[in-house]
Amino acid sequence: MTQEVSTSLQFVFSCPLSSGLHARPASHLAEVVNQFASDCTLTNLRNGLMANGKSVLGIIAADIRYSDQCAVRVSGADEHSAHAALRQFVAEALPLCDVPLAVSAAPIRSNTPPRPLKAAGVSCSFGVPVSRGIAHGKVVIVSRMTLPSSLSTPNKTDSQKELDHIKDAVAAVRRRIGEKLKYSITPAGTAVLQADLAMASDVFLVEKLTEQVLRGKSAGQAVVETGEFFIDLLRHSDNEYVRERSSDIEEICLQLLEEIYGASPGSAPVALHEPSVVVAETLAPQQLLELDRRWLKALVLEYSGSTSHAAILARSLGIPTLVGVRNARLVLPPGSEVVVDANRGLVVSYSLAAVRRFYGREQQTLQRRRELWSRQTEKPAITLDGQRIDVAANASSVEELVIAFENGADGIGLFRTEMIFLGREYPPSEEEQFAIYAEAARTAGGRPVVIRTIDIGGDKRVPYLNLPPEENPFLGYRGARIYAEHHQLLQSQLRAILRASALGQVQIMAPMISSLEEIVQFKDAIIQAKQHLIRNGMPFQPDLKVGIMVEVPSVAFILDQLCSEVDFFSIGTNDLSQYFFAADRNNSKVNELFSVRHPSFLRFLKQIVDQIRLAGKWAGMCGEMAADIRNLPLLVGLGLREISVPAVEVREYKRTVSRLYASDCGVMVERSIASAKVLEVDGLLGQQPLQAAQPLLARELILLGSTSKNKEEVIQEMVDAFYVASRTEDRHLLEEALWAREAVYSTGLGYGFATPHCKTDAVAADSICVLRLREPINWDSIDGERVRMVVLLALRNSEVANNHMQVFSTLARKLMNEDFRQHLLEVETADEATTYLAAQLGTAMTGER
Amino acid sequence: MKIVAVTACPTGIAHTYMAAARLEKIAKNFGHEIKVETQGAMGIENRLTENDIRQAHIAIFAVDIEVEERERFNGVKVIQVPLQEALKNPENIFSKLQH
Repeated sequence: MTQEVSTSLQFVFSCPLSSGLHARPASHLAEVVNQFASDCTLTNLRNGLMANGKSVLGIIAADIRYSDQCAVRVSGADEHSAHAALRQFVAEALPLCDVPLAVSAAPIRSNTPPRPLKAAGVSCSFGVPVSRGIAHGKVVIVSRMTLPSSLSTPNKTDSQKELDHIKDAVAAVRRRIGEKLKYSITPAGTAVLQADLAMASDVFLVEKLTEQVLRGKSAGQAVVETGEFFIDLLRHSDNEYVRERSSDIEEICLQLLEEIYGASPGSAPVALHEPSVVVAETLAPQQLLELDRRWLKALVLEYSGSTSHAAILARSLGIPTLVGVRNARLVLPPGSEVVVDANRGLVVSYSLAAVRRFYGREQQTLQRRRELWSRQTEKPAITLDGQRIDVAANASSVEELVIAFENGADGIGLFRTEMIFLGREYPPSEEEQFAIYAEAARTAGGRPVVIRTIDIGGDKRVPYLNLPPEENPFLGYRGARIYAEHHQLLQSQLRAILRASALGQVQIMAPMISSLEEIVQFKDAIIQAKQHLIRNGMPFQPDLKVGIMVEVPSVAFILDQLCSEVDFFSIGTNDLSQYFFAADRNNSKVNELFSVRHPSFLRFLKQIVDQIRLAGKWAGMCGEMAADIRNLPLLVGLGLREISVPAVEVREYKRTVSRLYASDCGVMVERSIASAKVLEVDGLLGQQPLQAAQPLLARELILLGSTSKNKEEVIQEMVDAFYVASRTEDRHLLEEALWAREAVYSTGLGYGFATPHCKTDAVAADSICVLRLREPINWDSIDGERVRMVVLLALRNSEVANNHMQVFSTLARKLMNEDFRQHLLEVETADEATTYLAAQLGTAMTGER
Repeated sequence: MKIVAVTACPTGIAHTYMAAARLEKIAKNFGHEIKVETQGAMGIENRLTENDIRQAHIAIFAVDIEVEERERFNGVKVIQVPLQEALKNPENIFSKLQH
């Protein structure tokens, strides 16, 4: 026997992913290994665990966590190419494998009920909110999917037959998941299913199943024992993420059993008939998807993982969800009505009067906040000299788009579509894309949504695009440049966008256009997609607007030609500036060289904007320059009439626009352009302070007909008023700061007045809040009298350099004056109170009518 | 009688100033001459000068916290009360002075 000389190749890497090498990245890694014949062993040098690189489960079981050192050894016929491919994967693609699926969970709160509930002696169960919101419904308990511990199937002797059963079952389960994948419309759902698919095809799993059958087990028993083997393996990990994968395995095994026996040994799907709160130990993703969304109001899970697939799905579906609720199935009786407060992290019986009252008030608060918020945000942003600026938002998902409109966006200036294409094995179908674009168009409700077609280059790993890795991907094959080769991909995306245009004001934008030919070809592709839709009788907006990103400098010199081809231009400063300065913005040695505020770049921008406007076309800006609010005066001064900014900042931009003079901004741009360096431009910008402090008084903070019944409710009502007026985002912190002061000694100062106060950055602005009670209440005042009037003072910790403290001290002194107190007790309207206080205290006021 | 006083409360936002206003008013009712220094969120205001303190017959501290620069009052007779006292029963403080 000749011994082959093994030339096994080896390298070591450090795990770059903060949640470790869990299911999704592991499936990508295994997929790379499986392209080669060579064997690959992964050794976690921290714990010595070894894994077959072809097995997702094996990799997961090696419990590779953030910054763990791992040795990769490859040996076999094609070891050299496998080694090279793996090295490249680990260096380039792996760090990007862990695209966050949804917004992060809310911070964990201390386990105390809200003050008014505590005062009423109500006890709550606590958990960690992983998907926010408040909802109530009847408790429905869903039992965990468990593998039957023993299946009374005798041992079989015909191993081949049993192996065939298993082979068929595995194939059927894969098909099943594949089917579901086709109809998956949320990126989160797709990612979960893809991980399941990888697990169902895992070589390690199939190996174990075969091993069991060869020992004389029936197909069913092999599945049960294999399932238990893996569940045990995963559950013993001390990584939460890995432990949670055990429920995925369980689910796959149950499906295998279903295929083998023709029926599910697990629990039947639960039918919901009324608003329900589903309570379970844990929930498998597919179990969650089977619940009737019309009646599923909230989820309460005993299991404490915020990264479980069920939690991720719940977030993407917007279902209020608590995890880690101890003994939930015992404390929450089936059929009882409960409120799940996944803002505060508690669940409590809805049958108690105090709870109904508290959540009734809470609902009013949330309603008022929404109303005031939308009244404030729906107003267009107009400069002091009457120039309207559209403040749009950038978004990569429908969730983000919702946030943008909540913040008052005038449209979506850049809807990125890359997320839909990344992190998957097959391109998204036209239907899947249509579902997303249609939802975006509907949500926008008539406001424009600019959808940018796929903008991907060699820096991203997309298996079905086969983009070659490049030395310098930013100067390479990317954006619109790949469209000729990936014609079908572009066609299905264009058709999906066009179809969505029938449902709202959708526009198409092409990325990385650098020449006239490219845009002509792009428009031809749109015509082709339109013809296809016409042939199939599908509606679309015939005169849908087409624009391009201005991000390659060559475009600046053919704007006259381009203006006759496209309807609009959106300046993408990230790429434009790095191409303009020939400086890589990720290279710290050179990134100081280029600043979007450099006079040369400002000149370049001015030239671009002037030309576009001269041609009567529309010029906007997305990207980082627009994302820095300090640049706003420059953007307005350049003559941009639309800017697209991060979704959460829209409101602040609108507010800031309304404090600018467009003419001043124009002068500032002229002076900036004449400057010699960035520092001078920064100096000019610094002369115009943007952030005027909010006034102390606001009509929304004057509450003259309070029906609160006790001190707890009064403080809560006042804190809620801050929340309604967007003067606090952290009610708990503000409330506790006030109570901390009350704990020193009561702020009831006598004469029926109380003055709770605090110093905390939980308030967005120094504020005075006034509340007058219909029925006086006890406040442990120094004169023992009940309180009718509450004057609350909240001061920020970090800003003392204003005259607000002066006003507070004046107010405190005035409260010692009987006439002043009497006036407040008799004032009739909030307006009157605000005007009186403003005059007495010599301060400004604000408010929304 | 010439009186100097200092008011100071834990947060220095409200009670410091209420107490100051109260002391000033009641002192007047009693026919005293008073100057009240506040030690609140804005630091020391209406600062008592060396001269003020030297001329005063008595110093009233209506405070819940340490008085800043207390050494200024060495050699002066001091009455210290919890700040609440200045709000609740300021008259008591002054009537004590009569004796």
